[in-house]
Amino acid sequence: MICRSNILRIAWLVVRLAVGGVLVYAAWTKLREPWMLFAISIDAYHVLPQWAVTLVARTLPWVELMVGLLLLAGRWMRISTVAASALLTLFFTLMVRSYARGEGIDCGCFGPGEAISPITLLRDGLLLGGSLLLTAKAFWKPRKPGPSAIENVAQSSYRPA
Amino acid sequence: MALCLAAPSRIDTAKTVGNPAAPVTIELFSDFQCPACRGLHMSLLPSIMRDYVATGKAYLVYKEFPLMQHTHAREAATYAVAAARVGKYEQVADALFQNQQHWEADGKVFETVATALTPAEQKKVQALVKDPGVLNEVAQDVQEGLEQSVNQTPTLMIIRGTKKYPLAGVPNYSLLQALLNDLSK
Repeated sequence: MICRSNILRIAWLVVRLAVGGVLVYAAWTKLREPWMLFAISIDAYHVLPQWAVTLVARTLPWVELMVGLLLLAGRWMRISTVAASALLTLFFTLMVRSYARGEGIDCGCFGPGEAISPITLLRDGLLLGGSLLLTAKAFWKPRKPGPSAIENVAQSSYRPA
Repeated sequence: MALCLAAPSRIDTAKTVGNPAAPVTIELFSDFQCPACRGLHMSLLPSIMRDYVATGKAYLVYKEFPLMQHTHAREAATYAVAAARVGKYEQVADALFQNQQHWEADGKVFETVATALTPAEQKKVQALVKDPGVLNEVAQDVQEGLEQSVNQTPTLMIIRGTKKYPLAGVPNYSLLQALLNDLSK
C-alpha cells in the first residue's frame, strides 16, 4: 500500500526533477549556440546596458546549468532552490512586463525563435510556482515533540500531595 | 546527387542581393505595413548592406510576410514581387517603406509604387500583380516563414550551413555584428 507520505515524497521528487531538468535544458540550448544570440534576446528586453547584456549572456547559462544540476542531484537544497526561485522570478517578471507592453519579443528561454505568449507565461509561471514550493520545503522544518516538551507535559500533569 | 541543406528551398533571385556563395545567408521576412519593418529597413539594413552584403560576407534574400491585421500589406507585397520581375524590387521596397504612413492611411498603394517606376514599368507591374505566379510567390514566402516558425515581423533568419537562427524584431546592431562576424569566419 502506498501511504500519503510516499505520494508526497514522489511529488516533491517530480517537481525537483522538473525544475532542475528545465534549467539544465535551458542552459544547454544557450550554450550550444553562439552567445550573441542570447545577448540579442536579453537586449530586446531593454533593461540592461550593453556591457551588462554581454556579461549576462556569457554567464547566465552557466548559472542556470549549475543550479539545475544541483536541483537534479538534490544537493545544497536551500541554496539551489533560492537561486532557482530568484532566477525564475526575474525571468517571469520581465516576461510579464514585456508581454503587458506588447513588445512582441522573443522570450529567449530556450534559444531564439520563441515569442512571449500566454503559453510561455503559463509554462514559466508553473515552473516558478514549483520552484517556490521547493524553496519553502527546503526551509520548512516539521515540529517534533522533543524531550523538553514531554517533560513539560509530565511536570504539568504531576501534582504532589 | 549532393543535397545542400543550407540552401533555402526557393529563391527569387530578383529579390536577393550579394554573393550567393557567401558564408552567411540572411533571409529577411518583412511586412511593408509594419512600423518595425520600416525601422529595420531604414536604420539597420543599410549597415548590413555596407558591412556584410557588399563585402561578400552575407547574401541577403527578401521574403514577404504580410500580416493579416495589416489590410494593405499583401497588396504592397504583391506589387513589390511584381516589381522584382522588372528588376525594381529594392526601389519599390524603399518607396513603400518611406511612404508607409501615406498609403497605409489612404490605401493607394500603387501611387507609391509608381514613384519608383518608369511609365513602361508601371504598366508591366500593373499587369504582373494579376499574374498567378506573382500571387503564388507571396503565398509561398508566407508559407516558408510559417514552416520556419516565423511568427512576427521583421524576422531576420540568419543561416550558416545547416543552422538557422531566427531573430525577431530589430536587433542591436553591435550585437548583430558580433554574431555575423562570428558566423562569417
